[in-house]
Amino acid sequence: MQTLGFFGQYGGIYVCEPLMPALEELEEAFLKFSKDPDFLTEFQHLLTHYAGRPTPLYYAKNLSALWGAQIYLKREDLLHGGAHKTNNAVGQALLAKKMGKTRLIAETGAGQHGVATAMAGALMGLKTEVYMGEVDMARQEPNVFRMKLLGAQVHGVTSGSKTLKAAINEALRDWLANVRDTHYVLGTAAGPHPFPTLVKFFHQVIGTESREQILAQLGKLPDYVLACVGGGSNAIGMFSGFVDDTAVKLIGVEPGGEGLNTNKHGAVLAKGTVGVLHGMKSLAIQDKDGQVSDTHSISAGLDYPLVGPEHAYLRDIGRVQYDSATDTECLEAFHALSKAEGILPALESAHALAHTKKLAAQVSEDTTLLVSLSGRGDKDLHQVMSVTN
Amino acid sequence: MTTQATTRFTNQLHTMKTQNQKGFIPFTLLGWPNADISFEIIKTMIDSGATGLELGIAFSDPLADGPVLQAAAVETLATGFDVDQAFILLQKVRAYNQDIPIGLMVYFNMILARGVDQFFKDAADAGVDGILIVDLPPEGAEEVTAAAKTSGIDLIFIVSPLTTDERLQTILKHANGYLYVVSRLGITGTDNTHDTQLQDLLTRIKAQTDLPLYVGFGVSTPEDAQKMIAAGADGVITGSRIIQLVQDQPNSSPQQVLETYLQSMCNLSE
Repeated sequence: MQTLGFFGQYGGIYVCEPLMPALEELEEAFLKFSKDPDFLTEFQHLLTHYAGRPTPLYYAKNLSALWGAQIYLKREDLLHGGAHKTNNAVGQALLAKKMGKTRLIAETGAGQHGVATAMAGALMGLKTEVYMGEVDMARQEPNVFRMKLLGAQVHGVTSGSKTLKAAINEALRDWLANVRDTHYVLGTAAGPHPFPTLVKFFHQVIGTESREQILAQLGKLPDYVLACVGGGSNAIGMFSGFVDDTAVKLIGVEPGGEGLNTNKHGAVLAKGTVGVLHGMKSLAIQDKDGQVSDTHSISAGLDYPLVGPEHAYLRDIGRVQYDSATDTECLEAFHALSKAEGILPALESAHALAHTKKLAAQVSEDTTLLVSLSGRGDKDLHQVMSVTN
Repeated sequence: MTTQATTRFTNQLHTMKTQNQKGFIPFTLLGWPNADISFEIIKTMIDSGATGLELGIAFSDPLADGPVLQAAAVETLATGFDVDQAFILLQKVRAYNQDIPIGLMVYFNMILARGVDQFFKDAADAGVDGILIVDLPPEGAEEVTAAAKTSGIDLIFIVSPLTTDERLQTILKHANGYLYVVSRLGITGTDNTHDTQLQDLLTRIKAQTDLPLYVGFGVSTPEDAQKMIAAGADGVITGSRIIQLVQDQPNSSPQQVLETYLQSMCNLSE
């Protein structure tokens, strides 16, 4: 490996020996193609003409009046596929194609990354198989249908929590067995190096665009930038555009589930301790022996007991503040945005909105809050209706 | 290879290798299906003539393990069997037999959670000779080399058919005791088709080290084992098959179920 990909004490490579050559190959390809003008042009072309970038930065006038701050939404929900995940899936699929791989595998929680990978696989003629926990297949059923219609095979995962952690376990087992012809399209900025760096690379367009757009619209940077954090891919992409602007406060919002005083949450940055799983050293919710716990969140995409290593680092150095929103607060924010602006947010993104509401109540009305609306809520209709009625 | 006090692995496996005797290292999960039966399983392994032991500690997310060992880990953790109890069981095994080399197979998070120094100290105190950390490649070995040296424990490393000569050099800087050679790609205990590269791989490794080469993954019958030996292995490691045999006959004692099988695996010749 050229580097081990550490962010402070977090990151690195913690995998079984048979995967090491694949990570070496991936790092080499990433270092080569991320500087290759032809690759970058092709990627840019797909983002523009296939995925629909740039996505709008929308001033949410009604919500701003309702909550008492100037709220801007980065509309990743309008990206093809319905979430930011398309940036990374298209980027990695293109990279896999250049590497001569013929098969893509992916894990998915909410199903958005699975859908994005299925789209990219269809586009590029790569056989695609997606691992998804059975609990998540039930609560995100529309996305299961979408993946199948896009030609992907969906494997239900019945082990452990039957959610995202178990799906990553199975995807890694598949990769171990099929590493020669298969690329694992990891869906969040986590896992062994080079994934956290590579996934951030493909998502940094969120932050770059947002920065340009807010400067064009307001002539100044926002006071706060907010994003939800599960593994943390939309957040790391968004934050990358502002991390050097020290006056801009960055806030990541974790799933508070039924409350941080219960054991039913996924607030890893608040409650986790240093641990190693899924190929990385990061923070994990675990017991005294290092057994990694099952988490809980109303949103399948945030239901994960670890977090991308760079977030752990950004927390430690004090550059990003991490808070959490409970399931109840998330639902309130979901309804608020739907009714005030006519936009159904993904339950994941609704966590960032829930914290936006709390923050808006504390700051002056002219304070600018830029929120990553990472995905749309169509996948969540069934779940929201079932808890609303 | 780093120099340190020779362990049971280094002594006994190396002696066997020089005398051209083939070895058999059975694997089981400590505490499965409970502490008492687990001890009986391990006793049967020792009494049947095993060269050494490879014992696992159940982990919540055993990424390199197939369905049989995954299920066994879930069952073990469900009984409340924890790492403290694993060390108590290891002490009992060491008290039963002073000579057999004992290896631990663990995921790195369990070592981190206890503290690297503490884990290696507890392992040494319990009579452990070697530790294979499934998800710690040689790039991260520095995190444990000092503790391993202080406690006199061998670090066992995995070599796979995809390991290049360059990587092998890095592995050999840290490896002691023996090398765990993965016969094919995949996870433990799944299918039995072996990677055709095994013979080439063993030849390649032998050109670079005198460490005994033990082949694991997909070795479940004496016939499998003989193929590995014929390909150049110094011995074999078997895990899932042993747990499966005990599972299949829940009303018999481990001794009744395993004795014949283990003895057939221990009588390997070239």
